Amino acid sequence: MGYVFDPAAVLTGQYLDWFIWGLATTIALTVAAWLLGMTIGIILTLVRMLPFRSLEWLVAGYVEYHRNVPLLVQILVWYFGVPQLLPRAIRMWVNSHHSEFLLAMVALGLASAAYITEDLRSGIRSIPKTQYEAARSIGFNYLQAMSYVILPQALRIVIPPLINQTLLLFKNTSLAMAIGVGELTYRTREVDSYTFKTFEAFAVATVLYLAISFAIMALGSFADRRLKLEIR
Amino acid sequence: MIRFEAVEKWFGQHQVLAGVTGEVKRGEVVTLLGSSGSGKSTLIRTVTRLEGIQGGQVLFEGVDVAGRGVDINRLRQRVGFVFQAFNLFPHLSALGNITLGLERLRKMRKAAARERAMTELDRVGLADKADALPSRLSGGQRQRVAIARALAMDPDVMLFDEPTSALDPEMVNEVLRVMRTLAQNGMTMVVVTHEIGFAREVADTVWFLDKGQIVESGPPAEVLDDPRHDRLRSFLSRAR
Amino acid sequence: MLEILEDNWLLFLIGQYPHGPVGGLAMTLFLAVAGLSLSFPVAIALALARLSPRRWLRGPATAVVYVVRGLPLIMFIFWTYFALPLLTGHAVGGVETLLFALVIYEASYLSEIIRAGIEGLPKGQAEAAKALGLGYFPTTFKVILPQVLHNMMPSLVSQFVSTIKETSLGYVISANEVTFAASQVNNQLMTQPFEVYGLLALTYFTLCFTLTSAARWLERRLAAERGGLGAQPA
Repeated sequence: MGYVFDPAAVLTGQYLDWFIWGLATTIALTVAAWLLGMTIGIILTLVRMLPFRSLEWLVAGYVEYHRNVPLLVQILVWYFGVPQLLPRAIRMWVNSHHSEFLLAMVALGLASAAYITEDLRSGIRSIPKTQYEAARSIGFNYLQAMSYVILPQALRIVIPPLINQTLLLFKNTSLAMAIGVGELTYRTREVDSYTFKTFEAFAVATVLYLAISFAIMALGSFADRRLKLEIR
Repeated sequence: MIRFEAVEKWFGQHQVLAGVTGEVKRGEVVTLLGSSGSGKSTLIRTVTRLEGIQGGQVLFEGVDVAGRGVDINRLRQRVGFVFQAFNLFPHLSALGNITLGLERLRKMRKAAARERAMTELDRVGLADKADALPSRLSGGQRQRVAIARALAMDPDVMLFDEPTSALDPEMVNEVLRVMRTLAQNGMTMVVVTHEIGFAREVADTVWFLDKGQIVESGPPAEVLDDPRHDRLRSFLSRAR
Repeated sequence: MLEILEDNWLLFLIGQYPHGPVGGLAMTLFLAVAGLSLSFPVAIALALARLSPRRWLRGPATAVVYVVRGLPLIMFIFWTYFALPLLTGHAVGGVETLLFALVIYEASYLSEIIRAGIEGLPKGQAEAAKALGLGYFPTTFKVILPQVLHNMMPSLVSQFVSTIKETSLGYVISANEVTFAASQVNNQLMTQPFEVYGLLALTYFTLCFTLTSAARWLERRLAAERGGLGAQPA
């Protein structure tokens, strides 16, 4: 075919800059959405542990919505739909301040929170009740028993699934390209359409994605081995 | 030191404690015998309010444990509790299991807590296992660490809930030996057990529970060798 | 919201059909069903290869699974989009592209479920089959896999839900499924994006939540069947 695969062609000048910016945006979006998701996930977990049925149902509804609607659709709802509901002044402000990044972050963060709260809850539930009893028998109060005995154990159980959640979140940031966030996939298509070096452009992006994904997976299996407690 | 006064407890429709009355004096070793379901474990769990009660009173040093103004966490520090299933904290080493309460409740400094914990571990013969995680210990070793954990809080009384029932036969003795020494040193103890031999040799008083009531109590020589109740007689013959 | 539904329900449901290609929810369902069904044999092959003692089988299969796990689906769709025409020699539409990408993607996730299922089966099953004198293939296909597939019914339904959700990425390459249909409706209306996308979300939710509930029900039934009441869902 006479075709020469030449990744160097897309790794120079402004194209290199685009890749770097794309990667930086992907990482920034991952970190921002992660923090949001973790915060809301923890809050939801605490809320559903309160003894109110109605709150429990509310959280369950939240979880089901975010797990049963495609993430892309959630992003579209946030990007196209939600600003329509906002007062005009706020809408103008949002639109002039990189609304796409912000809204993608909100959509990704809220969806992650639904998965995170499920992980957290099953982590806490997996600690046998006798551990709590033993802690109370030494004389610890509820909060002390939670923080010295239950949570340290729950954390070990929860960290591996949370790392897996992080991997999914990292990959899902690519969906933000659909609303024009200049993350790695978006920039890759840009490089492609400017250079017509399709395979080179996507090869570079693929390597970058895989490198970070594999790093997260390695962290996950490391945590898995290090934190695994043989109970009994 | 501990007084049960007409203690009643239900699990739903089922009455587990049907008016238990009895007293454990300071320095006394009381052994609770009875077939499973007789309420003996439930009875000692009421002392530290691991189980609530529906009737009667449980008094610790004359104070109702369910009374208002009772700091249950303080009370629990004074009453050591040893579980059948050990319930060591799996994320902490043997030493860490013991220092946790010393540092967080007794507010001891790290070094002091460590020293104290080592003393307790030495007492149960496990000084060399200080840094081992519970998963690396045998059942008997785990139970000895659990005893050391309770002793480290300087309890006034130790409650044992079938401490050897979850152990393989060859590990029972190492735990009983520790408990025997403890009794000889004057510790007040309430022991729920199936070990008749231990009761005979160590206990000052034996309570035999049946259907949520103490049906026979007295010195082991009396209760074990000259049982008056049919239920106790058949219990003893089965245990042999 | 009702008005939008009244005017556009056909487009939502079946796209431009019969005046154009089938699309909308019908296409979404077709893609999900076809995607999962076609991925199934691939998944079994991948799972068996990953469990094979032969390194030349295990290595590539493991690589495929890891690459798929590490790459966003969208990247995978773009690769297919560019590579498929080159490989086949003629133009390939959005639907075919999406289907192909989904099959490979789903296959590697499914293969992990199958592999876990095989590894989770008591060793005695394979040993008993071998003791009877059955060879590798009869053992695998007559003894092991039927049990594994039975046990993984709930996971299979969950995977079907994932596939439905993933077909929404057709939007990005203009494959005519329901998300794409919604975006077209939105482009016509211009003024009511919240209603349009809200309706779309509701559609997905109804479909997927029903299936998720079915998966839970199956899980409970299987747990009861195994005799472990209230066993933990996978």
